[in-house]
Amino acid sequence: MKKVTLLTIFAALMMISSAAVAQTTASGTLTVTATVTGSINLVFNSDASGVALSSGAGTNAATLAFGNVSAFGAISAGIVRSTTATNFTVSSAVDVLVTKTNSVSANYSLTAQLGSVDAVNTWTVGGVGVTNAAAAPITATGTYGANSNFPVAITVPFTTASGTLISNTINYVATAN
Amino acid sequence: MLKKYISIMRGAALAALLMCGASLAAQTTATGVINGTLVNKNGISIQFDTDPAGVTLGAAGTSAATANFGTVSAFGPLAAGVTRPSVTAANFTVRTFFDVQVIQGGLTSTTYTLTANLAAAAPTGLNYKVDAITLTTALQTIQINGAYHTDIAHNLDLVILTAAPGAGGPAVNTPITTTINFTATAN
Repeated sequence: MKKVTLLTIFAALMMISSAAVAQTTASGTLTVTATVTGSINLVFNSDASGVALSSGAGTNAATLAFGNVSAFGAISAGIVRSTTATNFTVSSAVDVLVTKTNSVSANYSLTAQLGSVDAVNTWTVGGVGVTNAAAAPITATGTYGANSNFPVAITVPFTTASGTLISNTINYVATAN
Repeated sequence: MLKKYISIMRGAALAALLMCGASLAAQTTATGVINGTLVNKNGISIQFDTDPAGVTLGAAGTSAATANFGTVSAFGPLAAGVTRPSVTAANFTVRTFFDVQVIQGGLTSTTYTLTANLAAAAPTGLNYKVDAITLTTALQTIQINGAYHTDIAHNLDLVILTAAPGAGGPAVNTPITTTINFTATAN
């Protein structure tokens, strides 16, 4: 009888022990997939020597406002002016910053193109004439991760009436080489 | 006498027909009893569900689901359900959401603890985070008081180095797959 009692107690202890250590768990797996691709990014920054961008600095949609310009009158800080017998040119430094990620590309090519035709004035970016007819190559060896100054210049004929607003959009495209 | 005989015969025939009808209408039945028994085993289960703000999971509603971020980059377009909360010079993060639902039966437990770990070391240039907790091959606690029987949303972040392949960055233009193990334990 004593032996049976001991066995019963032992069995009960075993059951209690088993219940105490058991954990109720559930497991699952989530398989995660992604495909990384290289990319580049272009932003405009104000150049210390040029006209401060009036909006959009640090983005890819900025505004450069020369303000009132004339062939001989006062001119705003940051504007470089030159005058000939028939026209004058105003220019401002503008920085372009192209950043690359996950790419072995060593440098980039930059093109620029006017958004709409301008039959009167002449536009240049980095000294290269730009029109709306085709994208003009500005550089073929742009350096990543550094501000590069590509001055924007407009040549205005003396025949332009005073008070004329000159406005256009320049579309830039950077391509990883 | 003949009429009486005919009458008796008619009565006998009618009685026979009625008995036949009663016989046809009768049903033969048998009854029995089955004593069914079951042992109610307690337990919990886990499943992954698609979160409305995240990518659509493959095999959603099961414990072995897949989440595909698609093509990701620091500046390019992303798939629906994927966001890019940060881009720095060193890395960028892409994020999606997924839901975990844990179901329990037969337990007095009211909450569960959720842990996770990578099945293998993270691929070069990538880190995986669930709810901002960086995953390794060691178990990490994600949640200690998960509620049963409801979808609980979790962030899944991929932190991707911007370095080029071979310079510390991840392989590019090829799918990179990692398995995350989740374990829910009843509290």
